[in-house]
Amino acid sequence: MIISVASGKGGTGKTTVAVSLAMARGYCNFMDYDVEAPNASFFLKPDIKNEQTVTMKQPYFLTETGADFKKCAEFCHFNAVAVAGKEVIFFPELCHGCGGCLLVGPEGSVMEKDVEVGKIRKGKADPGISFFMGDLKPGYMRTITIQSEMDKLIEHDKIVIIDCPPGTSCPMVFSLKDSDYCVLVTEPTPYGLNDLDLSIEVLKSMKIPYGVIINRDGIGDGKVEEYCNKNNIKILLKIPNDMGIARNYSRGVSLVEYDNSWAGKFNKILDFIEKEAV
Amino acid sequence: MKQITIISGKGGTGKTTIASNFIKLASNHIAVDCDVDASNLHIMFEPELRKKEEFIGGAVARVTGDCINCGKCEEACRFDAISGSKTDIKIDLIRCEGCGVCEYVCPVSAIELESDCQGNYFVSDIGYCTLVHARLKPGAENSGLLITRIRNLAEDLAINNGNDLILIDGAPGIGCPVISSLAGVDYALIITEPTVSGISDFKRVYEVAKFLDIKAFVCVNKYDLNVENTEKIEDFCLKNDIRLAGRIPYDDRVPLYLSNRKFITEDAESGAGREIINLWKTLSPYLKTS
Repeated sequence: MIISVASGKGGTGKTTVAVSLAMARGYCNFMDYDVEAPNASFFLKPDIKNEQTVTMKQPYFLTETGADFKKCAEFCHFNAVAVAGKEVIFFPELCHGCGGCLLVGPEGSVMEKDVEVGKIRKGKADPGISFFMGDLKPGYMRTITIQSEMDKLIEHDKIVIIDCPPGTSCPMVFSLKDSDYCVLVTEPTPYGLNDLDLSIEVLKSMKIPYGVIINRDGIGDGKVEEYCNKNNIKILLKIPNDMGIARNYSRGVSLVEYDNSWAGKFNKILDFIEKEAV
Repeated sequence: MKQITIISGKGGTGKTTIASNFIKLASNHIAVDCDVDASNLHIMFEPELRKKEEFIGGAVARVTGDCINCGKCEEACRFDAISGSKTDIKIDLIRCEGCGVCEYVCPVSAIELESDCQGNYFVSDIGYCTLVHARLKPGAENSGLLITRIRNLAEDLAINNGNDLILIDGAPGIGCPVISSLAGVDYALIITEPTVSGISDFKRVYEVAKFLDIKAFVCVNKYDLNVENTEKIEDFCLKNDIRLAGRIPYDDRVPLYLSNRKFITEDAESGAGREIINLWKTLSPYLKTS
């Protein structure tokens, strides 16, 4: 069963919730799909045993053959190839690695090489957690290439917790796509509410059941709760705004580690998801 | 004309709160919200819509003709977006990147790329300045393309209006939207927080700014949450020749002011408000057009 933890707005506590769920239950897969800003390892402190390099294919053009690469430039839907006279200008950051220029270009004059776009780190964390994190190389845009490689590592017979990236665009949707349930984490502010509404729109279109955790409860206003009640959205948990929690978070101490009574609350959420929601 | 983009790596460190207050403090400027999939910069204001445009973004592949189940498209697709091509073809629209390879290899022209409206972008008057913002359709790709479009539009507007500053609120992360909102600006302002996550993500986004050759300023928000970590961030900045632009204390009033649509910088009692003003004073000499 795949449970993803997401939010429209960043910094609402996705990692705190995902780590707490994993630590409370144990013996699960933990996948940090927030490959642009992966932070779960600071709290789960896994023993990283293995590192996999993720590459994409990128073309290079043998201009010395005198071939005409105009067709490559015309074909590329991402404007990654431009031709000026005999010169080929390639914009690696725009390239998706689809191989189209190889198909349409002059035979034997377009080659490909593997380019590293990031890494996947694998390890074990207590209790019995198989930990996987994606790590996008700064300066590269292939977030989804890494997430797509991580998909292949999921052990589908286990409980799988996915820590998603923020937002509502392709990296978030890609992380969610195989989920049985989504835990949305928000904060009780106008920004939190606006982005909660956007992420619910995504989940509805993907037909994934969801519930909400309100983090830093007590700040801002009561409109998130009103919104949930009015729309019959299950509030799974409220985590109070607490300087003790915040200070421990700042040092890499998870909620469950800081105060073990939270383990029971997160286990209850998992029980609810397993028995009633999915 | 100068341009500055506010970024953070980690989400929720205070980019939009700071950008909103900068909008109020700056003069002769234009603002752009480059967090196109979860945009919040308009929330503090009462935007009056001046212009709304459709964003026709990238395309996705669709089976529009009679498939002969040859399997060539599935073999050629590098994104695992096609399945069942020898029996009952299915295209996974989440995986499809719209590259057009399947359309090209299909011997019977049964696949076509179709462009969709992927969202909208807007020009609004928010009282203090013009705001260019957007709304990417949930799950849509090509946020980078949309960001480039709204930034170009903002530049055109700024030139026409004679504005001398473009204030850009960026997205979290370090990927496509962040790179698109940073490319070609004069300065990056990195807002971070003194947490293990904040430090790690700050270093990652700084790498991106360095990669793009953009001068970075750093401000530690909620610095008193963990002074030891704040010092770690500041040490890193000193060693890497990154300009420290400010420290903002934790202040309970920030979310309350947000909920009441009031600017924290209007409260003389608020430590956070005062430090946002100081941050602006530190930055503004760099943002003047000489």
